[in-house]
Amino acid sequence: MHNPFKPQQAKIVDMKRETADTTTYTFEFLDEEVKENFCFTPGQFNMLTIFGIGEAPISISSDPAKSKYFQHTIRHVGNVTNAMVKLKVGDKLGIRGAYGTGWNINLLKNKNVLIVAGGIGLAPLRPVILQLAGQRGEFDRVEILYGARTPGEMLFTDEYQTWRSKGLDVLPTVDNVPDTEEWKHSVGVVTGLFDEMQSMPENTVVLTCGPEVMMQFVVKDLLERHFQPHQIYVSLERRMNCGVKKCGKCQIGPKFVCKDGPVFAYAELLTLPESVLGGVGK
Amino acid sequence: MVIARNLEAMLQASSIAFLPKEKLNDFVGLLTEEFLLYGPVQKKTEFVFEKIENAAQLALDYHTTLLPPKKVLHQPFETLFSFSEGEGAVDDVSHVEEKQLLFGVHPCDVHAISILDEVYSHEYEDPYYMAKRRGTLVVALNCSTPGDDCFCSSLGTGPDLKDGYDLLLTDLGDNYLVETGSKAGQELVEMARLYSAPRVTLVEKEKRLSDARKKFKKRMITDGLHDLLEENFRHPVWEELMKKCLACGSCTMVCPTCFCYNVVDKIDLGLRSGKRQREWDSCMLLEYAQVAMGHNFRKDRDARIKQRLYHKLAYYEPQFGTLGCVGCGRCIHTCVKKIDITEIIGRIRGE
Ligand SMILES: Cc1cc2nc3c(=O)[nH]c(=O)nc-3n(C[C@H](O)[C@H](O)[C@H](O)COP(=O)(O)OP(=O)(O)OC[C@H]3O[C@@H](n4cnc5c(N)ncnc54)[C@H](O)[C@@H]3O)c2cc1C
Ligand code: SF4
Ligand code: SF4
Ligand code: FES
Repeated sequence: MHNPFKPQQAKIVDMKRETADTTTYTFEFLDEEVKENFCFTPGQFNMLTIFGIGEAPISISSDPAKSKYFQHTIRHVGNVTNAMVKLKVGDKLGIRGAYGTGWNINLLKNKNVLIVAGGIGLAPLRPVILQLAGQRGEFDRVEILYGARTPGEMLFTDEYQTWRSKGLDVLPTVDNVPDTEEWKHSVGVVTGLFDEMQSMPENTVVLTCGPEVMMQFVVKDLLERHFQPHQIYVSLERRMNCGVKKCGKCQIGPKFVCKDGPVFAYAELLTLPESVLGGVGK
Repeated sequence: MVIARNLEAMLQASSIAFLPKEKLNDFVGLLTEEFLLYGPVQKKTEFVFEKIENAAQLALDYHTTLLPPKKVLHQPFETLFSFSEGEGAVDDVSHVEEKQLLFGVHPCDVHAISILDEVYSHEYEDPYYMAKRRGTLVVALNCSTPGDDCFCSSLGTGPDLKDGYDLLLTDLGDNYLVETGSKAGQELVEMARLYSAPRVTLVEKEKRLSDARKKFKKRMITDGLHDLLEENFRHPVWEELMKKCLACGSCTMVCPTCFCYNVVDKIDLGLRSGKRQREWDSCMLLEYAQVAMGHNFRKDRDARIKQRLYHKLAYYEPQFGTLGCVGCGRCIHTCVKKIDITEIIGRIRGE
């Protein structure tokens, strides 16, 4: 019987320090067959294991077209993620996946796309950004609003130029600028960029991911600007111990975030009794 | 095993037999030769499911056990696999379908097992549960004397049983009536050479069960329960419960349909190998919905109380096509603060 709980061994083939507390790792599976068969859609996640420490759900942050070498961008915040700091190229760890729903690229065809990301929340959105850039002709205006606490905490900064050259608009902002850092763009929370953006509700789909409070304000402000709940897609974070609807941890109402999510239309969340992202609840 | 809800049994009119009480010893003896047997055993004033070697250990007139027989299939602590440096996860679950038999299981607990069957086979099969379940037979026992906290009759999960068993016993005084619910059950009847019983015995059985139905002290009206709960997410009862409940998690630990678990890695002394283990968890505990850097999605106690109640009575249905409560009354019996799921629903209904 197939065992969905057993991680496969994967090797780190490349590493890149993104910020003081975040690293992007490139992996390949050791087993040729597993490597060959692995595929994912943007927005899906894997369960990463450091044997002896534990497991953590982490989104895949790379281009789905290159699934043999996939990436995770990880913020070092706790047991598993801090243990990863010590890893080097060539080291092995356990990975299983890919799990969950993703951002549905088909819903974006011939539409305007507004992406709103905060902090580490840009990582789960990067695969869809790369897809949008790759198939640029199939979408109308694509605008990316990205907020981080400081300039030094912004992810993937060396890629914005490429994204722009492919016809995606990138609007960055930071909460504040330390004296030691330089910054020529906006200062303020990401929702402040709504005054500057071109995106209007008409024919637009919004994709957002970031800290819970950030997404809460993003949704609130967009609704005030007459975006509709069914136009807004959010990627939720919940505790996860299995990824396959068994441990129960990720449940919100009858939904399993690990399988029915992590990406949800905000309209769907409004049907739940429990309040999610400042939604009324029942 | 009976996951297909006994299609087999429905197709062939189930045969009925007698097990005279003086033959119980022999019957159980026969079963222990073939199976690892679990049955109800008395411990002071309470009952528990335990391994059985002979019929003398059994307390078949038991009232609800402290923990449900779930613990045999979804164990409180279970090793998922071992791992070692360099090799990663070593799949050491044998997935052997161990031949075991649960003896004397009450209808509510049989229903709960059917619910868990659905949970563990739904979309992704859980190899640990399913391997054990495939090797497990269920000999159920209809209830003639409901306990003080039982309300299965309100939910259609007792005191009698229609499916989910291999054999079903009903106490008729000198004999147990034995009904077969599967081919494996039929084989047991043949192996034990039980005499077939006349059809009229079913009338006697029905009489005993309708007597039992009159003895329930608790009830829960389920009509429109889903809508009732959806409309009352802000009912004052939740705040009252928040003040009363200790959030100790006992109610979920004893519940036969709760499936939540946590995962921990245990490292061996040499630090080069270890095992990954899962352990029962509870949505009533503070850490359950906590994520990195301290954020907690159900920090407030009323949010956790509602999670348990709503999961049982409103969310299971869309998830698994059935109510998540079987009316066993364990959560009521075990609660030091006397919090009672039937009273909560009654209160919301304005009874
Ligand atoms: C679908 C999804 C995608 C994610 N994608 C990313 C990503 O791309 N990059 C990134 O840096 N982080 C991501 N996270 C957050 C990441 O999972 C947590 O930071 C991580 O689990 C922390 O684990 P830890 O052992 O380092 O922390 P600890 O706090 O030590 O964790 C202890 C336990 O809590 C659980 N836990 C703690 N925090 C979380 C959490 N936020 N979510 C789920 N379980 C948690 C873990 O399972 C672990 O068993 C994602 C979370 C989810 C749910
Ligand atoms: S919720 Fe209470 S009464 Fe219902 S099945 Fe669980 S323990 Fe039994
Ligand atoms: S969410 Fe709570 S009530 Fe539901 S199965 Fe898990 S522990 Fe039990
Ligand atoms: S992560 Fe275990 S049920 Fe969703």
